[in-house]
Amino acid sequence: MATKTRPLRLYSKRFYHSYDHPAPGGPFPAIETSILRVSTPHIPTHGFTNTSLSLGAQDAGYLPASTNLFPRGAFSLVHYYLYTQRLALAAHTNITAADAVGENGYVMGVGGKVRALVWERLMANKAVVHRWQEALALMAQPSNIPTSLKELAALSDEIWFLAGDKSVDSSWYTKRASLSTIYAATELFMTTDKSADFIDTREFLDRRLGDVKVVGGAVGSVSQWVGFTAHAGINVLRSKGVRI
Amino acid sequence: MALRISARQFLRSARRSYPECHCIRQFSSTVQQAVEPTQPQPPLNERTTHFGFETVAEAQKEQRVAGVFSNIAASYDAMNDFMSLGIHRLWKDHFVRSINPGTTNPTNPQGWKMLDIAGGTGDIAFRLLDHSTLINCNPASKIIVSDINPEMLDEGRKRSLKTSYANSPRLEFLLANAENLSEIPDNSIDLYTVAFGIRNFTNKQKALGEAYRVLKPGGVFACLEFSGVTNPVFNAVYKRWSFGAIPLIGQLVVGDRDSYQYLVESIERFPRQEEFRGMIEKAGFATPGWEDLTGGIAAVHKGVKPLVSDAVEAAARRVEV
Ligand SMILES: C[S@@+](CC[C@H](N)C(=O)[O-])C[C@H]1O[C@@H](n2cnc3c(N)ncnc32)[C@H](O)[C@@H]1O
Repeated sequence: MATKTRPLRLYSKRFYHSYDHPAPGGPFPAIETSILRVSTPHIPTHGFTNTSLSLGAQDAGYLPASTNLFPRGAFSLVHYYLYTQRLALAAHTNITAADAVGENGYVMGVGGKVRALVWERLMANKAVVHRWQEALALMAQPSNIPTSLKELAALSDEIWFLAGDKSVDSSWYTKRASLSTIYAATELFMTTDKSADFIDTREFLDRRLGDVKVVGGAVGSVSQWVGFTAHAGINVLRSKGVRI
Repeated sequence: MALRISARQFLRSARRSYPECHCIRQFSSTVQQAVEPTQPQPPLNERTTHFGFETVAEAQKEQRVAGVFSNIAASYDAMNDFMSLGIHRLWKDHFVRSINPGTTNPTNPQGWKMLDIAGGTGDIAFRLLDHSTLINCNPASKIIVSDINPEMLDEGRKRSLKTSYANSPRLEFLLANAENLSEIPDNSIDLYTVAFGIRNFTNKQKALGEAYRVLKPGGVFACLEFSGVTNPVFNAVYKRWSFGAIPLIGQLVVGDRDSYQYLVESIERFPRQEEFRGMIEKAGFATPGWEDLTGGIAAVHKGVKPLVSDAVEAAARRVEV
């Protein structure tokens, strides 16, 4: 019940943790959810597009016309994907358990758990990584940016929470901010990574975590990271033809 | 641009010659007095509905609305321009684009069966066919244009001759009241549209029920209608324009003040966005919410007819709550 005092509640009513509040149906109503759920398997082939959404509608027994239920079109698919993958993290009890043991055979601390959870979240993108820049382009559209940023913040909050971070002091915000930027940068890096088992992505992540020393608790070069992420992100999006 | 200038001139001349148009109440009551002598009061036990700000018997309203549109049919575009400050064409384009008619997927490449209610001049219907054909490369989509008023339908037929859909089997016309579409079978339509029509219906809920009946499960109801301006300052300005200038223009340009007075009053009477969404849901539709256009002068409302199984579930949930 320590969660009751977490500053999180001060700025958002919409964040909730997977087992804090058992899922109230998520950000989408029932029919939308049933269509989105069966649209997701079409993403690897048809991408984050209206075609996937339309095929999903079809699978759920609806019509191509029924995609009118989604005023934000393919972005709904991105949003649903981000949301469900965030919630799926809680299932990694081998990481979140109090006495969970890391790769090195020792019980993991908060830092080790953060790293392991970030990695699990990244690996969940494996099946759609060739389509991820499409998702990023949708996330970067002006009308979608607020939702995208909220999802990113909710993800880093979820990760700190699942890792057992109990801090309520001012480091709460900086920890989340730096994890958000590290996560976004690494996710972007992964879209261009051709190495076996994403070894390069793994090293990239470890360097970022090392740089910011999040693991040790000291949070330094946040602004540097914000700068880097924005830069890398903008370049990728420009290469996708987004005018920014 | 030309339109905006002429609009401003009209507004100015409206102020000069009609000082009383600054006051809405006064204005509408003037008209009520003017109309009363010729309109007998409805008997007390008859069901009544609104005709602009007047209350009339339901049976009468249909005739009177028909009268309004017969009077206006010829000068129809001019009227739309006045009422929407000239932007109704942009709204219609946006409305059709947002629906994305004729979209298909690899497992369902069929054309859409569409029904444009209160379709009058075919304005919406031609756009829907164009979008399906040109944007979605789906020349198989068809549309039925339906209106209660034969003169409006004639105008639509006439205009269709100037399009590539002249005498095409893709385009049909149907004279019908939106509250009783008995000629259209149940579960047969992919898309039902109604643009600037529903506020004229005597029984809107009944019309929504008919929309629900004729749509296939998964089919879409889409409505474009004048609405509640959300910004209070803009609302005041628009009201002054609509109640002050539009009927006057109607008189000057078309020589018919009362029809235009009815039109602005029917907009004022139309339910606000939340309320109308509630009516769409009451008819059984799942709604994704509405979209305000130009500060809420108009709004797009949509609904999707659920599958039978989802509809049962939704009804059960409603009972629980
Ligand atoms: C303002 S016009 C809109 C025409 C066209 N949809 C557009 O957007 O340009 C309103 C139309 O609604 C029609 N109408 C009024 N009551 C109706 C009813 N009960 N059933 C069907 N059409 C009706 C009128 O005849 C008229 O053509």
